[in-house]
Amino acid sequence: MRTRTKIVPTLLLALGGVYAVLPLLWVIFASTKSSDELFTTFSGWPSFNGGFTENIAALSSYGGGRFWLWMLNSLIYAGGGAFLTVVVSAACGYALAKYRFTGQRLIFASLLAGVLVPGITLAIPQYLLLSQMNLVGTYWSVILPSVISPYSIYLCRIYAEAAVPDEILEAGRVDGAGEFRLLWSVGVPIMTPGLVTVFLLQFIGIWNNFLLPYIMLANDDLFPLTVGLYSLLNRGASQPALYTLVISGSLLSIIPIVALFLFLQRFWRLDLVAGSVKG
Amino acid sequence: MTGRRTRAPYVMAAPAVILFVVFIVVPIGYAVWLSLHAMRVSGAGLGIRAEVFVGLGNYLDAVKDTALYEAIQRMLAYGVIMVPVTMGLALLFALLLDAPRVGGKRASRITIFLPYAVPGVIASLLWGFIYLPAVSPIGAAFKAVGLDAPDFFGDVSVFFSVANIAVWGSVGFNMVVLYTTLRAIPKELYEAARLDGASEWRIALRIKVPLLRPALTMTSVFTLIGMLQVFSEPATLRPMSNTITQDWVPLMRIYQQAFVDNDTYLGAASSVLLAGATVLLSLAALAVFRSRSARSER
Amino acid sequence: MRRRTFLVSSAATLFLAGCGTDTSGGAAPAASPIAGDENAPANLVFWSWAENIQRVVDVWNQKNPTQKVTLSGQAASDELIAKFLTAVKAGNAPDVLQAEYQSLPTLITNNALQDLTSAVAPVKSAFPDGTWNLTSFGGTTYAVPADVGPMMLFYRADLFEEMGLEVPKTWEEFGALAETVRKKNAKRYLTTFSPGDAGWLAGFAQQAGADWWTNENGAWKVGIDDEATRKVLGFWSGLVNSGAVLGDPMYTPQWNAQMNDGTIIAWPSAVWGTGVLAGVAPKGKGKWKMAPLPQWSAGENVTGFWGGSSTAVSATSKQKPQAAKFARWLSTDPEALKVLVEIGLYPAATLGQTSGGLDAAPEYMTSQPDYYESASQISKTARGFSSWGPNTNVTYGKFEDLLPTAVKNKADLAAVATQVQQASVADLKKQGYQVVGG
Repeated sequence: MRTRTKIVPTLLLALGGVYAVLPLLWVIFASTKSSDELFTTFSGWPSFNGGFTENIAALSSYGGGRFWLWMLNSLIYAGGGAFLTVVVSAACGYALAKYRFTGQRLIFASLLAGVLVPGITLAIPQYLLLSQMNLVGTYWSVILPSVISPYSIYLCRIYAEAAVPDEILEAGRVDGAGEFRLLWSVGVPIMTPGLVTVFLLQFIGIWNNFLLPYIMLANDDLFPLTVGLYSLLNRGASQPALYTLVISGSLLSIIPIVALFLFLQRFWRLDLVAGSVKG
Repeated sequence: MTGRRTRAPYVMAAPAVILFVVFIVVPIGYAVWLSLHAMRVSGAGLGIRAEVFVGLGNYLDAVKDTALYEAIQRMLAYGVIMVPVTMGLALLFALLLDAPRVGGKRASRITIFLPYAVPGVIASLLWGFIYLPAVSPIGAAFKAVGLDAPDFFGDVSVFFSVANIAVWGSVGFNMVVLYTTLRAIPKELYEAARLDGASEWRIALRIKVPLLRPALTMTSVFTLIGMLQVFSEPATLRPMSNTITQDWVPLMRIYQQAFVDNDTYLGAASSVLLAGATVLLSLAALAVFRSRSARSER
Repeated sequence: MRRRTFLVSSAATLFLAGCGTDTSGGAAPAASPIAGDENAPANLVFWSWAENIQRVVDVWNQKNPTQKVTLSGQAASDELIAKFLTAVKAGNAPDVLQAEYQSLPTLITNNALQDLTSAVAPVKSAFPDGTWNLTSFGGTTYAVPADVGPMMLFYRADLFEEMGLEVPKTWEEFGALAETVRKKNAKRYLTTFSPGDAGWLAGFAQQAGADWWTNENGAWKVGIDDEATRKVLGFWSGLVNSGAVLGDPMYTPQWNAQMNDGTIIAWPSAVWGTGVLAGVAPKGKGKWKMAPLPQWSAGENVTGFWGGSSTAVSATSKQKPQAAKFARWLSTDPEALKVLVEIGLYPAATLGQTSGGLDAAPEYMTSQPDYYESASQISKTARGFSSWGPNTNVTYGKFEDLLPTAVKNKADLAAVATQVQQASVADLKKQGYQVVGG
């Protein structure tokens, strides 16, 4: 009796899962269809005429393997950007949480306001600025603006505040440890679960970002997946054969994120986002 | 917390502050500068454009822009659906995940979260395929039982169609946030109630939800910001129907001004206004939530 | 304190540097003619959206090992122009750009294009006068025409025969035919009127004799709300609102499906439409045929243009002579023309329209062996506007916002012409242009 599963709540939850997964099923089915099957066969069921391998092969050979290049680029942008974000945000968040210094409130308040500025507002000025620094059309033009994430700093601050005990820091100081040494050997290890969360959120954020790379990059060898697939989609309007590539590409593009999420899910501290970390 | 005089915090904060200034403050300043200028033509025929200072001229145009107001109205209509549904579903699923004797939690949690990993542009494309009558599996299902395929791009239904994409993409994230917060709540707080025979439903409403309030506040504010910045879903769906115009929501209107009409200057003015409104609205929302939770704590 | 000063001053430098770029766009490098050796080694960047244009670039690179062209594939859309203008402003524009004819004025007035008059003068005679005029403004040539899109009517010959339909010679017949199709088979439509394609509409308006922009002594006259355009819109209005034709946009997955499965059986398009059909409607291979666009009065023989593009050189390119050489080559070299045809573009050069590659019909149009011969005949009857206006982008944007809504609301489409006219005139005035009339 006690272990019996309740039907209604289980069903409700399962319904949520079905809702989430249905469009993804559609992609999986659609990716099994060759381009002349795509709009002509029932889209709620896969085809088994070798369309899938055909599509993957066509996708791989498109533009001389450009798709895989896009995938690699996305990994570079998201991985590199998220890593740098963690470094920058951890230091800043720790400083905001663990010290009192002039300008602290100003920094924190401006950062919070920064969360609210729509990216599209900044896109053109950022573009002109980066081109002044001769960085437009390079990997840096996408990575650098992504590194500054007010939200990540905010999370790091909250986490440092809640998780890093002042007593340990004070004890360290009594032992003569420098402030940076304390950050590195006390702060960072304790903050790790929070930093992993920041990394993941930022990774997904950059991976899914469209506007910034779209504006910064003209060379399709540097495109991340979002922009690359969008450009394929745009051409697909008159060359629907490309639609099947976009669909298979979308499917493949989700896989790394899912893998990353599953791999790191035990390290998440998402309650961070809600700002309710208890020590 | 130390108040000792040391340079350390400045050095630690420096990289972030420098990047913040370079990539956010300076661009904002530049956007403001742009908003006070415009291209004007001199010479006959095609003429040549030159940048001139126009003062608040762009702001006057932006304020008088009826298309912008219509866009704001549509955004609000979309938000009225998107925000409550997202938050409601996220809360429901989080509570279900936290409730005892519910099956398939692990699988559900992962599947419901999955859409968050799908970029907005791609998610919109997928749903677009599902909405279009001639290729839609839903349409096919309706026809199979002899009904007319539903019109996902009708005057009213389009708001639901667009909101659905955003809901689909963001429920999972908010759910995981709320769920993780729930798990951090000490069990003792409701074990007593459970022993007293209170139903799970009652425990959820009376104990868990009030404890979740700060988390709900933050996630709601972020969902609100998401509403204000809605862009990629309607922009991707636009070419598929006659219903979504190029200026459907405020950011699309700004995008149109800057990228279609090539009027970066007017676009900058509109976006400065929108950013200002966003800041005000978010602060107001925070204030409301705060005062409410303060009252409930009393 | 010192650190703060550093931050502030470096921010200020950046800010000023950012602003500084604007004035560079205001200088006038475009006016000066090209100087320098066009055979000097070069590394050119080329922005284009044409599918498979890489093949043409490959031919060039093979023949010109010291002058390498790197293609950067772009999405074809209005945004490309804004992106290019921003790149020019920022000083990192490509050397060569594929530009649609109607976007040239915007590029020119923003000082983004190089004056090519002297550099391309030698090939002027390779093009019909009317085509050459598409890239010349006030006696200055800014681009080399690459491909053109004279409009024609594609139809499913097999279904026309099966349903006993005649190919319409006039729009009146076309309208009657649309109703006949509905009566004979409720599943089929003659065509769709896609309200979100202003370029398509412009082609119809050209055929009807409209002139959306004319320049009179330096002042602009806008003629969007004229009799010809209203006639075109009124005609489609009747058909769409009565349900005789669809009112859904083209180039959607749904349209693709309908073109493929015979729901839509005719498509007023341009000569490059074959390539689109081959992609959109693979099942229709060998079943489509092409005829001249229906006429407004019997016995007439006119058509308009839809699409087509030219090759321009950026005003900020540091390798202008070489860039101009490439632009010229792309549009006139026999080998380049041959590949252009193969990738589905209809060359603007006279030679391209008559030479080798065009003997056989495209593979998709086996039903019509004389495809290119007919296309060439039709091409001669094409009529463009006397000029493109300096705010085509705004005008198109307005059409593409208002027409879909009007179709959805079953409103009178001709009334949209009035609204677009007003918006277009207001925009010209705001930008500082002289406008005559209203």
